[in-house]
Amino acid sequence: MKISCIIVEDIQIAADFLRKFCEKSDLVEVKGHFLNVMDALEYLDRERVDLLFLDVEMPGANGFELLDRLTYSPMIILTTSKTEYAFNAFQYHVNDYLKKPFTYKRFLEAIGKLQQQPAEISPAQQTPSSSQTDTEFLFIKADDKLIKVRKDDILFLESMRDYVKFVTPSKHYMTYSTLKNMEEKLIGQTFLKVHRSYIVNLSKIDDIRGNTIYILGNQIPIGKGHKEDLEARLNIL
Amino acid sequence: MQKIRPPFVFDENLNSSFLEELFEGDTKYAEAVFEDFLKDLPVYWERVETAYHNRNLPILGTSVHTCKTLFGYVGFTDLQELCQQFENKCSVNSPEELRVEYILLIQRKERAQHIIEKEYARLRLFNGDKD
Repeated sequence: MKISCIIVEDIQIAADFLRKFCEKSDLVEVKGHFLNVMDALEYLDRERVDLLFLDVEMPGANGFELLDRLTYSPMIILTTSKTEYAFNAFQYHVNDYLKKPFTYKRFLEAIGKLQQQPAEISPAQQTPSSSQTDTEFLFIKADDKLIKVRKDDILFLESMRDYVKFVTPSKHYMTYSTLKNMEEKLIGQTFLKVHRSYIVNLSKIDDIRGNTIYILGNQIPIGKGHKEDLEARLNIL
Repeated sequence: MQKIRPPFVFDENLNSSFLEELFEGDTKYAEAVFEDFLKDLPVYWERVETAYHNRNLPILGTSVHTCKTLFGYVGFTDLQELCQQFENKCSVNSPEELRVEYILLIQRKERAQHIIEKEYARLRLFNGDKD
């Protein structure tokens, strides 16, 4: 599934390049292009997108003013020719910062970076017309694509040297990352690290026998240092 | 036997390595971008001139900022840097203090426009031969 986006940019040449790069990558779908903040906000009141490509200096309100008025938290890539906005970008938890003019290679790096910071869209951030009742998901970069996966579909994660394997009932995804990175993103919710090489979705556990967790026919070992944590989280009596 | 054409080589005054990376050999797209530049620059530059003559430095800064981006997309990375310096000065200098830099900027802009006009004509010729 592609990442949906809008482009907020008053310079047509810059917007055209961005649109071209999005189409070329086949990773991002451009839902609209807006020349100013007000038009973009009007659109975002009706529709939600996963990502904003946002220029900072535009006629009228600037890009940060748009971020102040957003009612949800999409991913943000700032596009500007000024490096002075880097601090503001940090304060607004912007995902990346593209200094214009940027090449297609740089654009791809920015999109690829999004997979290092999995997007979380909670039910409160759904579009009004969405029929999904549980919209917590993240993006996994695998097979040169950014794949949208519902967290609730993930059975467990397994570390495989420089890669992490995400296991769902229907598919496996391999992404170039570390289990530690995933741990930082997922732990504290329904996920728990149970072994140095495994993180499990606690809600998917079928049963536990001895030092082995069973999830949909998969056997996951429980590490010695993790058993106590697991018992505490499962409220084992 | 098909004749192999040499690739298009951008003018030495432009950042040709950057343009090669930006356009990736797509000279038709380069032609379209250069055409847009020649169409858009006079419109944006008029705002620069109006702001300068009205001594409106905040608007002058943002107008130069816009032109700076345009210059970047056609390979004038040095002129882009000059615009950035001028833009920075708009927030600290008076119009009188900016006069010399402003005149220099006009001269560089006109030279850039002339170069891009020639490059655009060359690109049209190059692309026309391909059809």
